[in-house]
Amino acid sequence: MRINKFWRWWDQNRSALLLALLVLCVAVFVKTTQGLGLLDLRRSIAGPFQSDGSKQQVLIDAQTQALQTQVQELEGQNQALRALLNLSPLPGYKKVAAPVVARSGDSWWQQFILGKGSLEGIQVDAVVVAPGGLVGRVMSVSPTTSRVLLVSDPTSKIGVTVSRSRQVGILSGRLNRYGVVEFENFEKTIDIKLNDAVVTSTLSSRFPPGIAIGRVSELHLDRRPIPQAVVEFTVPIETVEWVNVLTHG
Amino acid sequence: MAKPLRLWSRPALFQLNVLILIGSTVLCLLLQLSRLPGMILLDVTPNWCLIWVVTWSIKRSPLQGLIAGMALGLIQDGITAPSPTHALGLAIAGYITSTLDVRRWVDEDFICAALIVFMMAPVVEAVFAGQLALQGVWDSQQIWTHLQQVSLSSAIISSLWTPLVYVPLNRWWERLHDLLHSR
Repeated sequence: MRINKFWRWWDQNRSALLLALLVLCVAVFVKTTQGLGLLDLRRSIAGPFQSDGSKQQVLIDAQTQALQTQVQELEGQNQALRALLNLSPLPGYKKVAAPVVARSGDSWWQQFILGKGSLEGIQVDAVVVAPGGLVGRVMSVSPTTSRVLLVSDPTSKIGVTVSRSRQVGILSGRLNRYGVVEFENFEKTIDIKLNDAVVTSTLSSRFPPGIAIGRVSELHLDRRPIPQAVVEFTVPIETVEWVNVLTHG
Repeated sequence: MAKPLRLWSRPALFQLNVLILIGSTVLCLLLQLSRLPGMILLDVTPNWCLIWVVTWSIKRSPLQGLIAGMALGLIQDGITAPSPTHALGLAIAGYITSTLDVRRWVDEDFICAALIVFMMAPVVEAVFAGQLALQGVWDSQQIWTHLQQVSLSSAIISSLWTPLVYVPLNRWWERLHDLLHSR
């Protein structure tokens, strides 16, 4: 009698019970796997709304600002220390912002024509920089324009230093985004590695020391007679539209 | 309302011609300095000075071609750098163009001009490369690889843009010829 009652009850509630069991199993599964699937679902729903480019840009800007502040701080300290050591202070430069109004007039020279000239105080041999570092040197000026020989031109030769090891060499352009640093071959060991930063040398009389130029992207140190390293410029020369010309005073 | 051209006096027509000559060269030189979308092939822009020299020389005497090439080459030196000179290559191109009789091979005028530009572009680049090699500042291996790239791209992109200069100038000179000889 009692058993009959049980079976009737079972027949009535079987599906509900199985369902409950299934639900519990799933719950236990989720618990033991620390929310597998659920969190992924959450992520895939949130994905489209999360971290778009503009926010990235804000972060990059913030980082740039922090770095700029840090650079200013270090420059200040540097000047103070130089003063303590009675060294001559680094020469001050005035920056003249100038637009790039034209590029080289043939397929061999690597030049910019800037939209400002001697009226703004730009002189021949003035140094031209852009966000990212060195761009080149002024070859000739007119009252309202100036022509810049880019670092990427093969006729441009610049004394450079590898910042990490203070190794010195001479950089000449290899067109577009690359240049080649050549080292004196009598040096036994040339201390340079991939990704080393290359800056203008303190020995160079034409360029202020320590302007960023690029990073080492290839090494050919066993090349004879002259060991070489290929440098990729940090300034995106093809796309630069505004530059700063450093003028005295 | 301006007078129709056939009523213009001879001196006025000459003056207009000079104006058109100067205007077109200035336009070519300005284009030479620009990087406009659609005018760049592997970092190489059309050699507008060459296009102008070829356009000028096709129906003129070798001496005229030579001098036009030299003049435009010297001006191009002015907008780039004095040495090595562009005048040599362009003068050679102008001279060769005026001695060629390409209309024997192709009927259509502007296709013939484009063809000559296609042939002359490598010549101009090679003459320039030769001078660079003599100067010895560039690495010779580098000159050679760059020459190969540049001469092919320059030939293609320059010849494609040739009609833009050739068609209007040629039409004007034909018109001018008719006007001067109908009197």
